[in-house]
Amino acid sequence: MNECVLPDPTGFFEIRFESIGGLGAHAAGQILARAAVLKLNLNGSHFSSYGSEKKGSVVRSYVRLGDTDKPIRTSAPIDSPDALVVFHGALLEQEITIAGMKNSGTLIYNGCEGEVPELLKNVPAGARIIRIDATNIAIEELSRPNAVLLGALTAAAPFLDADTVLETLTEKFAKRNPQAAASNERAYRRGASEYEVLEGVGEGSGDLPAMRPSPVLGYETAPIGGVIPYAGNTVSNDLSASRTGWMPLFTDEECVHCGLCATVCPDFCLVWTHEQLNGEESKVRLKGIDYQYCKGCMRCIETCPTEAMTRVTETPGLADELRVPLFVAGNPGS
Amino acid sequence: MATDIHAVLKDPTNDGHEDGIVRQARDFLSGNEAAARAARDIGFHVMGYFPITPSTEVAETLSKMQASGEHEIVMIPADGEHGAAGICYGAALGGGRVLNATSSQGLLYALEQLPVQSSTRVPMVLNVATRAISGPLDIRCDHSDIYFALNTGWIILLAREPQAVYDMNLAAIRIGEHADVRLPVLVAYDGFFTSHQKRRVECIEDGEALQKFLGTPHTPYPALDPRHPVTFGPYMNDPDLINNKKQHSLAMEAARRVIPEVFEELAQLTGRHWPVMDAYRMDDAEVAVVMLNSAAETAKEVADRLRSKGKKAGVLSLNVLRPFPTEMIRTALSGVKAIVVGDRADSYGADGGNLSLEVRAALQVDPDNRTRVLTRIYGLGGKDFDDSDAEEFFAQALKVAESGKVDEVFAYHGTFAGDPEKTVAHGLPAIETSEVTRGMATVRDDPETGKLQVELKPLWAMAEVPSRIAPGHGACPGCGAFPVLHQVFSVLEGDIVVLFQTGCAMVVTTGYPKTAHRVTYIHNLFQNGAATLSGLVEMYHELLRRGELPDSPDITFVMVTGDGGMDIGMGAALGAAHRNHHMMILEYDNQGYMNTGAQLSYSTPLGHRTSTSEVGARRKGKATQHKDTAQIFAATHVPYVFTASEGYPEDLMRKAAKAQWYAKNEGMTYGKILSFCPLNWTTSDDAAESTLQVAIDSCFFPIYEVERGITNITYDPELLGRRRKITEWLGQMGKTKHLMAKGNEERLASIEDEVERRWRRIKAMHDHPEL
Repeated sequence: MNECVLPDPTGFFEIRFESIGGLGAHAAGQILARAAVLKLNLNGSHFSSYGSEKKGSVVRSYVRLGDTDKPIRTSAPIDSPDALVVFHGALLEQEITIAGMKNSGTLIYNGCEGEVPELLKNVPAGARIIRIDATNIAIEELSRPNAVLLGALTAAAPFLDADTVLETLTEKFAKRNPQAAASNERAYRRGASEYEVLEGVGEGSGDLPAMRPSPVLGYETAPIGGVIPYAGNTVSNDLSASRTGWMPLFTDEECVHCGLCATVCPDFCLVWTHEQLNGEESKVRLKGIDYQYCKGCMRCIETCPTEAMTRVTETPGLADELRVPLFVAGNPGS
Repeated sequence: MATDIHAVLKDPTNDGHEDGIVRQARDFLSGNEAAARAARDIGFHVMGYFPITPSTEVAETLSKMQASGEHEIVMIPADGEHGAAGICYGAALGGGRVLNATSSQGLLYALEQLPVQSSTRVPMVLNVATRAISGPLDIRCDHSDIYFALNTGWIILLAREPQAVYDMNLAAIRIGEHADVRLPVLVAYDGFFTSHQKRRVECIEDGEALQKFLGTPHTPYPALDPRHPVTFGPYMNDPDLINNKKQHSLAMEAARRVIPEVFEELAQLTGRHWPVMDAYRMDDAEVAVVMLNSAAETAKEVADRLRSKGKKAGVLSLNVLRPFPTEMIRTALSGVKAIVVGDRADSYGADGGNLSLEVRAALQVDPDNRTRVLTRIYGLGGKDFDDSDAEEFFAQALKVAESGKVDEVFAYHGTFAGDPEKTVAHGLPAIETSEVTRGMATVRDDPETGKLQVELKPLWAMAEVPSRIAPGHGACPGCGAFPVLHQVFSVLEGDIVVLFQTGCAMVVTTGYPKTAHRVTYIHNLFQNGAATLSGLVEMYHELLRRGELPDSPDITFVMVTGDGGMDIGMGAALGAAHRNHHMMILEYDNQGYMNTGAQLSYSTPLGHRTSTSEVGARRKGKATQHKDTAQIFAATHVPYVFTASEGYPEDLMRKAAKAQWYAKNEGMTYGKILSFCPLNWTTSDDAAESTLQVAIDSCFFPIYEVERGITNITYDPELLGRRRKITEWLGQMGKTKHLMAKGNEERLASIEDEVERRWRRIKAMHDHPEL
């Protein structure tokens, strides 16, 4: 067993993974903590915040590491992490993602070269910010972003022995699927070497305060019995972050307005309009997609009898540009 | 009295020669996994269970182990927790070792069985990952479920961390089976905080030593010995019953003696000593907090900090809740000036949760006791309890200790009154009746054929009908339940009231304070949705009859359920069918309990992989064939039963329109609709059409209706020359890929034979109106 000494042997080293369900943050946390406890002789705990939310919603995964003799008593989530790993660029649009960031901490995020989200300005100036293109490396190596990000994390926190973590990452596949193990290893190694340390991005002073989601309604303002008298108010939700790199593109010229896509769209995000052409009988026509609700399942493409729906890579800003809103302010209802 | 239960072996691989401690291996396990590991190591005979978050992982982990041949526990997936409790009771009467795991509503649904088992003195082990009870449905931790078990007559052990879960399961066997005790044992640990948090756990490697510790189960009155016939559960009134209860009470008293003995033996075996009561820095404490399970551990950190500042602070918590260690608590608190008892559940109107009430009662017996007791209700529904909360509890106790005055004996901690500035998004206006009454389907009763005729508008025309479910819901990408609902709702005319049973479609549409429903929506737990809606239907008609709803529009009542809800809720639904209420039931069948992580339902087909029917060297997926729900409802002779698939929208829409007509005019209707689940069928999100098509063309899922007793196949792949092999369907999904591998021929043949047999039967019914 390798011995591991934490930067502060009397305290905890705490890691928070911020992710979207399906990207492997839970598995990454588990692998790291498992390696630490079973192979690096540390004490550790791991858990994720997820409940009955489904695939595509926010998942937070927490790893708490301490010296082998230090008991871990708290079960609480990690508010102020020493290392924060962000799995999806879209998460860096929300303040809560970087909440509790320490001036002495490290932030690692998944982003293409040159992609520096605005929010990173708020990160404390003393914190390290590391960018790694985990999505593309994962695609190239037939692996997953979590392998790349774990590689980058062990490079940033070298007391977590990189080979030991890698061994835990690949042991599940090593016998059954050596090819997958090799893919993961390549992705992991590239994560550990191809990262970029961004200088002068964070401008915040001192640690960022922790944030916990707080309720909108309280016991004096909520209707009794937990009822919700606000019909259909999920329309204020934004599900864009559920898409993982692709989106359906609507081409009006190709559309025969048959209505098949409406029967299969689980997210009710297609926008229909009424049109009367030269005295003909009025027709229902597809106008476009409200990307605020589209989760990118591509079932509309599967069912489309023409080429009106096609799959395209989602580049920054594309969905906003092409979005046809279902509900216009002041005129709700379809 | 101070103990540090966290003393862990320095060397993770103890060779067994040190201090007589058994050989153990270090692992990294969640509380649920620790319970499963203990179950494997104990080698229970039978497990009866029904999945419920957050305890489900116990059965899931055991299913994985079973598939790879790690244990031989007979795992019986029940139809609900009430059924699971019955299975366990019956199995335990046979004399072997029995296990179950549940949470929240599952415990409450089983509750009625628990005193039956304890009072007939039949031991078993029930793990409870504690969780808030409904309603509003909350899946996270508090102790409202376990407080309901206090009066069941079961021993209740508490486990504050995964290691304790493992150890307490071992202890539970010895305690429950002790000849002087003979009681079932419940092991309670915090949902999510402990059930899902992985920690370092030492597990026993030396199976022989463990079995020696456990001993052989001995049953004084086995139900499986025909040479010694025994009557269990007689009819017993006064004057006998009170004496039976006195025996039960004496058994609890015996447990007071037996439990520390067993804990001591366990300590000799493992090196880990669990006291009945965990008194942390209590020796000279002037203030203390009293709490159960994981939150008590958090409080210890704060007690340490206060101690370093010279404050005499301690933490009192329990490892045994029944029998309640009254005397120990009284002694430990005798010199303490003020305590805060944290209750993770309220006993509404009692000025304290159960823990507070029992602690106060324990102190009351001592005439010299001067301890002031504050009750704080905290952490409900999974609300975190962290250092700052513990600091607040200690601060309140310190204030009372200094002043001797108590301002507020009972209070909720961590609530939010509300902020008039904060408002919830108001959503969308109610849908006008005229907007959803556009004649998308025209239904006509044809006296010639005795059947309804339906004419549908083209699909493009329907695209404009306002959706009764708003976008912005949180279903997985590609989810099939929503296309099903959309297709059905596109043709339903007029106003509807819906009841959704617990399941994916319920959870993802109503995350508080948001709702996707634009019509009145009711949730009730899936064991009782049909009964609930039937009550509402009858109230509606009675109010109409009395003229008390003068301006009411004509309402159609629709119940929506998953296939899982039609296991646990089958009894209530059949009851509603036999009473023939004017309502529709729609089942979106995605072949498993997908909301809780893809456990098997009775609708899961043979051989399919689910998280409770795992695939490995020894097991190959689900052991039984799929449930034929439509035929069960056909046998109730309700006016209309149908099957459909979201892959054939027009067929489904025609049937939905008919169902609405029958629900308005003749009585109950039932529809089972095959619904895509990419996440748990393990396909891509956009593979719905191809997967559903071949499920139907292989005749696995026949598309038909039973109208006024006459069966009619509405899509016959054979007639259309489209019949395909069942393997073409099974080969498309990750959950069935293993069936394509060599060695599964027999299983495949069994699926094919059953599908063929059922298809021929439906064909025969289609051909012969008398059938």
